[in-house]
Amino acid sequence: MSPLVIGLFIAITTVVVLASGIPVAFGLVAVALGFLAIFDGIESLTISGELFFSGLADFTLVSIPMFIAMGAAVAASPAGGDLYGALDRWLHRVPGGLAISNLGACAIFAALSGSSPATCAAIGKMGIPEMRKRGYPAELATGSIAAGGTLGILIPPSVTMIVYGISTGTSIGRLFIAGILPGIMLTALFSAWSMFHAWKDGFQAGQERQEFNLRQKLEQAARVLPFLLIVAGILFVLYGGVATPSEAAGVGAMLCVLMVAVIYRMWSPRKLWRILSSSTRESVMIMMIIGAAALFSYMLSNLFITQSVAASIAALEINRWLLLAMINLFLLVAGFFLPPVAVILMAAPILMPIVLQAGFDPYWFAVVLTINMEIGLITPPVGLNLYVIDGIAPDVGLPKILRGALPYVLLMVLGIVLLCFFPQIATWLPDLVFG
Amino acid sequence: MNLFIRGVETLSRACGVFAALCLAAASFVVCHMVLVRYAFGIATIWQTEFVTFAVVAATLIGSPYVLLTRGHVTVDLLPHYLSEKPRHRLALLASICAWLACAVLAWTGWSFFYEAWTEGWATESVWGPPLWIPLLALPVGLGVLTLQYTVDIFKLVTGRPLEHRPTNPSNGSKI
Repeated sequence: MSPLVIGLFIAITTVVVLASGIPVAFGLVAVALGFLAIFDGIESLTISGELFFSGLADFTLVSIPMFIAMGAAVAASPAGGDLYGALDRWLHRVPGGLAISNLGACAIFAALSGSSPATCAAIGKMGIPEMRKRGYPAELATGSIAAGGTLGILIPPSVTMIVYGISTGTSIGRLFIAGILPGIMLTALFSAWSMFHAWKDGFQAGQERQEFNLRQKLEQAARVLPFLLIVAGILFVLYGGVATPSEAAGVGAMLCVLMVAVIYRMWSPRKLWRILSSSTRESVMIMMIIGAAALFSYMLSNLFITQSVAASIAALEINRWLLLAMINLFLLVAGFFLPPVAVILMAAPILMPIVLQAGFDPYWFAVVLTINMEIGLITPPVGLNLYVIDGIAPDVGLPKILRGALPYVLLMVLGIVLLCFFPQIATWLPDLVFG
Repeated sequence: MNLFIRGVETLSRACGVFAALCLAAASFVVCHMVLVRYAFGIATIWQTEFVTFAVVAATLIGSPYVLLTRGHVTVDLLPHYLSEKPRHRLALLASICAWLACAVLAWTGWSFFYEAWTEGWATESVWGPPLWIPLLALPVGLGVLTLQYTVDIFKLVTGRPLEHRPTNPSNGSKI
């Protein structure tokens, strides 16, 4: 059987197995072991334990639990509410100002956390009830937070960028920088739409609101400033090449836990334990997928699937933009069903040679890939952010949340198109910093 | 059987606590390493390896606890469209599939550990600790994971409810 036919079998089997509701990590292991046993003989399974272990034993991966702990510490504190409250005091005169404050808070929170649903939960918990109290349409309130939350994996630090960096051998510091401008671009697009939506509905925000003096405007901002300084510090040491991502993340996590304890007086062992246990749960879940994906990609390359797919796509000699459109479509569909980390780990090794051969920049491609994954987070059937929002505002209902999120999906597609026409949005800043 | 279920679930919880402590230890050691290396300019010997292995141990040993509390992300596409009875059968099938995968990993992990133990392997770094210590996480973590899956399958067969994950939105932070 040719590797391409086997590859097709593997793709179909993987989709069916994962759709059965088996945990993604164990589903990937089951598929990998099954195909190895069938095509390479049962004795080929003997090294599976070793492969799983060596897939995890990488110092760079240490940054993942550390960045998760950093986000969990901030998420457990009222910092999310303070963040958007502070922005609201500056923006309350603008139509749709509260929605924009929430989007801005999402973007900034995304810089504290590498996770999208965490961003969504932290800002949405306070933001959605407040927007609805002030008369914002439910679709706008829920949709904007669902979309704003997706910025978590684009704006650095980002867990998916770390995973991309490890699996493609690209610089994580450079990947982080590449995400900044596209993140700001998406925030601006989202804000523009929210403003338009609020204006179109004839909704005038802030009519009956009080005025804030400068002191009030600065007071809430002061409480979130230390966290922003931590993030700025992390990015600075990463870009300067002073420390590795794992070191920066470890120190950042420790500082964030200390800040949360000091500023929000969360120093009871119970609260600290809650931060630790929630970050443990989340890191274990992601790291198990990473170990499983190591086994999965070993199976793919051992059966020559990775090499054959890359070679036959190269042999097609199709137009590079058509190729990119096909890759985007593939990523989009994969992202509809699978968590971003799993998609990146499985697809990056196959796609990377194709993308490089077609003359695309790997850092630019990381950004395009990430935006595709962001779309998957707010589209059914596994849009994690939609479920987080549904948990926060159960009375709105998923169909309405989905309707609210749809315009933002289109804006992200627009973002990808803009990135294709102006790749500098992703490459200019890294080129400037790293040369 | 109830004793078995309670025993395995207690074991999984204990694993969860151990994993959390591993992560806490890892973050302290990272900070210590940064301090020693950048503030005092002293070369670090054991820290990088310790932190890497601590995170691996947290992952492997924490996985039964995460399974117990339904924290492993799933794609519930097919179950969503099925009625009660086929959904139950599919859940059973999926669990058996996962059990097999975990059992194979646990077994091959055990033999890898055993080899390192009997051959006296050490890591290739300057520190060079015996390799069996970090590798112990493979049979222990994946072994308890397989046991936890056995409990899950038993519960599915006998129609007992599986434990549900805590529903705190701030904890629902999957990537």
